[in-house]
Amino acid sequence: MTPALVDVRGLVKHFPGERRLLGLGPARAVVRAVDGVTFAIAPGQTLGLVGESGCGKSTVGRVILRLIEPDAGRVTIDGQDVVTLGARALRALRRRMQIVFQDPYGSLNPRMTVHQMLAEPLAIHRIARGADAERRIAALLEEVGLDPSFAQSYPHELSGGQRQRVGIARALSVEPHFLVLDEPVSALDVSVQAQVLNLLADLQQRRRLTYLFIAHDLAVVKHIADQVAVMYLGKIVERAPAPTLYGGPRHPYTTSLLSAVPVPDPKAQRQRIVLAGDVPSPAHPPPGCPFHPRCPHPKKDARCRTEPPALREVAPGQLAACHFAEEPL
Amino acid sequence: MTEPLLRVRDLKTYFVTEQGSGTARAVDGVSFEVQPGETLGIVGESGCGKTVTSLSILRLIPEPPGHIRPGSFIEFEGRNLLTLEPRDLRAIRGNQIAMIFQEPMTSLNPVFTVGDQIAEAAIVHQRLSRRAARTRAIEMLRLVGIPDPEERVDHYPHQMSGGMRQRVMIAMALVCHPKLLIADEPTTALDVTIQAQILELLDRLQAELGMAVMLITHDLGVVAGSADRVVVMYAGQVVEQATTAALFARPLHPYTEGLLASVPRLDAPPAREHGRLHGIPGQVPAATAWPEGCRFHPRCPYAWDRCRAEAPPLLDAGGGAEPGTHTVRCWLLTDPRRRTPHP
Repeated sequence: MTPALVDVRGLVKHFPGERRLLGLGPARAVVRAVDGVTFAIAPGQTLGLVGESGCGKSTVGRVILRLIEPDAGRVTIDGQDVVTLGARALRALRRRMQIVFQDPYGSLNPRMTVHQMLAEPLAIHRIARGADAERRIAALLEEVGLDPSFAQSYPHELSGGQRQRVGIARALSVEPHFLVLDEPVSALDVSVQAQVLNLLADLQQRRRLTYLFIAHDLAVVKHIADQVAVMYLGKIVERAPAPTLYGGPRHPYTTSLLSAVPVPDPKAQRQRIVLAGDVPSPAHPPPGCPFHPRCPHPKKDARCRTEPPALREVAPGQLAACHFAEEPL
Repeated sequence: MTEPLLRVRDLKTYFVTEQGSGTARAVDGVSFEVQPGETLGIVGESGCGKTVTSLSILRLIPEPPGHIRPGSFIEFEGRNLLTLEPRDLRAIRGNQIAMIFQEPMTSLNPVFTVGDQIAEAAIVHQRLSRRAARTRAIEMLRLVGIPDPEERVDHYPHQMSGGMRQRVMIAMALVCHPKLLIADEPTTALDVTIQAQILELLDRLQAELGMAVMLITHDLGVVAGSADRVVVMYAGQVVEQATTAALFARPLHPYTEGLLASVPRLDAPPAREHGRLHGIPGQVPAATAWPEGCRFHPRCPYAWDRCRAEAPPLLDAGGGAEPGTHTVRCWLLTDPRRRTPHP
């Protein structure tokens, strides 16, 4: 087996509770956004990280790139420890890891032209200047499917899909090996979403990129990911190769999520599991299994309320954190 | 055939653009009907005019910059809503026709309790006393599945989760037992497990209360699961209209076909996985400059000379029990041989 390009172990990020009353009152509870997350991604592969709002999936992406500092855990990229790196070394490593954000409106500077946005990273990392930079910018635009004439445009002159292509071009400009894609297509219309997904697949093949694809849409993740990790309240509750996870989920949360996705086929006769209640707050996670208050498993018992289930291998390559993973829903 | 509950004929809602330089023809000649008790899905991408259509029905279009053009016609139970006096319109709006919006946070008033907001319509339209209206609000909260309604009735929107707020929105909309509920992307802002709860709730309430629902969404999966009939919109027009079964079994407009092929599917056969999605090339044109001829022709894989020159009308595709069951705005219907697989 090839060594992993990205290796994340025991990652923890807790956000301290803010003090009430202008910072003088009692502190709110600590938000356990990421609470011990472990995974690895092999070179050229895509790990899909899925979960609902507030499960901590975006925080994982940011902590890996140290856009947010982790509280504990280890992250290595290309064998290099990211967490202990000094500022200068970290900046050098940022050439190898980049991020594409969900909101192509919020993540592009409205006062910069596309050309300026692509030239900046080239200059900062001393990759190219002058005619060489011009050539690279034209090539980047072409690679993401934009006409080089877009270089002089401002973000407001572009459609959502075009902006997301600029965001991808900007990430690619420093020639990274690893991209964190944080909900890269969820703000786009379906016809445009398909174009961008195709583009990401092409780029991955051509440049042998490794992706962490963060999304809430299970159908999109099924389409693009090799491995899938499902998060709930800061923890990974199931992790497996995509066909295994979609073909035979072992965690009741995964099963329920999959059953809740609407399928564009009126003839599809599916047993929809409707989970009761809302996702609990990560500031007050339930004791025992974090999923137990909503769990529809018929065998749920006292153990689920007191003993947190470990993420363990329940089938070759398939990990699940459920006391009853051997008897899936 | 029963008399339709709502009949929209040749609706045109235009907006003067900010610079005053042009006119955005957001809704440009839309016609459809809603039968009593049915769910009509209205599907399309951003900018297709689906939300402006629903706002026009309730006459909630800000004027200026918007205006509904003369010749447009919206009939609810035999009365033209567009010529109604404001006073008569108010008696219908929020009473017989109610609406729920996508953003439950921004469409609830943050300084009133949810109980007050639910009770308001009952006090205004049904002249209930405050006490009776409060009891009614608690009943409504129970109906939409909010636990501890006696306590929740005094809560403010910020004390509730997104799913709960959407339930409150539904309670507000249904308090007067409307005959028509317009639901504009009611689950788009919600997580998938909460979306499933809300869709199930809407299905149950519709069956219990016998109301018609206009379900406006971009999600073909939501439509497939909930609607009886579907209207597909593109560039301010209806491009296809059919029963849900017929539309998904036999999508005839190239845009509908393209939309269905664009969606990554959970039920995709393994062979299609990791393959390329058949997205629709290009993007939706601007409402100030719809293309000549068929508005979809620049993105259409089948387009030929006629499509560039001549705007197609809605043509009958047959196949239904009576004419007009399945209509398609596409010249391919006159020349089916041109529908070659993946040109």
